[in-house]
Amino acid sequence: MKYAFFLGCLIPARELSYEVSVRKVLPELGVELVDMKGANCCAPFSIQSVDHASWMALAARDLCIAEEMGLDIMTLCNDCYESLLMVNTVLKRNPELRNQVNQLLSEVGKEYKGKVDVKNLVDVLYGDVGVSKVKSAIKEPIDGLKVGTQPGCHLTKPKRIHFELLRGFDDLDALVRATGVESVPYERKEMCCGGPLRDINDDLARKVSVQKLKALKDAEVQAVVTVCPFCFLQLDLGQLEIKRHFNEEYNLPVIHFIELLRMGMGMKLEDWEIKAHRIPITELLKNRL
Amino acid sequence: MGEVANTPRGKGVLLCIQCGRCSSSCPVARLTSEHNPRRLMEMVIMGFKSEVLPHQLPWYCLSCFTCLDRCPQGGDVGEVMFAIRNLAVRQGNMPAGVAGQAKALYETGRVINPVRTALDKRESLGLGKITGDGVEEVQKILKKTGMEKIVKST
Repeated sequence: MKYAFFLGCLIPARELSYEVSVRKVLPELGVELVDMKGANCCAPFSIQSVDHASWMALAARDLCIAEEMGLDIMTLCNDCYESLLMVNTVLKRNPELRNQVNQLLSEVGKEYKGKVDVKNLVDVLYGDVGVSKVKSAIKEPIDGLKVGTQPGCHLTKPKRIHFELLRGFDDLDALVRATGVESVPYERKEMCCGGPLRDINDDLARKVSVQKLKALKDAEVQAVVTVCPFCFLQLDLGQLEIKRHFNEEYNLPVIHFIELLRMGMGMKLEDWEIKAHRIPITELLKNRL
Repeated sequence: MGEVANTPRGKGVLLCIQCGRCSSSCPVARLTSEHNPRRLMEMVIMGFKSEVLPHQLPWYCLSCFTCLDRCPQGGDVGEVMFAIRNLAVRQGNMPAGVAGQAKALYETGRVINPVRTALDKRESLGLGKITGDGVEEVQKILKKTGMEKIVKST
């Protein structure tokens, strides 16, 4: 198992523990990751809102780089995933659009051929590595911890793309359970974290997050487990902002799924990684840090 | 309506029957009456261009795609929002946060760039350098699509 590793913008800039954990865990599970040299930003929703053709061409340029490497792509961030997956899906099906995009790409000597697939970290772990192999890699099961998972919108929506890939958030829950953690259902699990409204209407963004946090609290979970780095930011940093602006406190630790898996595999988090969580995780995971 | 329907992501507006399922499933519409996807679709259908394009309305959508999954017509409301925002941007309506990301993308090839401390941390951890490789190609593409002009005019 070998993938072109699409790191995106947010993780290498702000969430280094996510990147470090992926680079430690995946090779242990037999997945080789090759960095994509010269890759650009995936063109997430903000950019798609500005210009459609630029989105298609920039995402296609990244797909071309993977094609040149002869490898399928693995993404981490839900936005990168959705952007690259949608463009790949559309261009594979629509020759007319593909011609238009290739005209733009000819400016930079590239041609999209439709030869690679786009996968997410969850796809790779669930579909390629498999839950049983993940489970057998767990040396120190994280027992006695009850969490709610936040798959994030673009891991499972829109369904017309994801149904074909037979993906739902059951995949993430199965992987979380493999680490020994109990993942419980909660209301509004499918709901957005509120992050996309950041910098557009911060007050509304926080109100969306509050709905999610309240539902998680109602389910009496001890933590929320995220895959998307943007959901992580909005729910972790967001709780501090909610405290400041709404005077409401939730104190719900937020953990990257890959950190959980890493701890279960017996690779401890370092001090700086523990401190990167704005809502402290020390009390919750005191026996494993 | 034609202007929206003629764009690659805007075709769905032609299928809208104004049932309102998008609004009832929208996490933002639940919080504020300012955002109402059904009403927005109605305004597009009725051709109320000056009521739609200069305002905040299309920017309140989270792009969470809940409406996309629930629309009984396959009307792709969440997709139509992109078409509306593309048109709004051309009328000079672009929130500062979005303009900032567009500018960063043009200048560096990335929408979010690490601060000095993150770069130092990356180096001390032996993580790969974040290079500007590819930014020249990004600029060539954005020049060709016309997005360079939008970035430079804001």
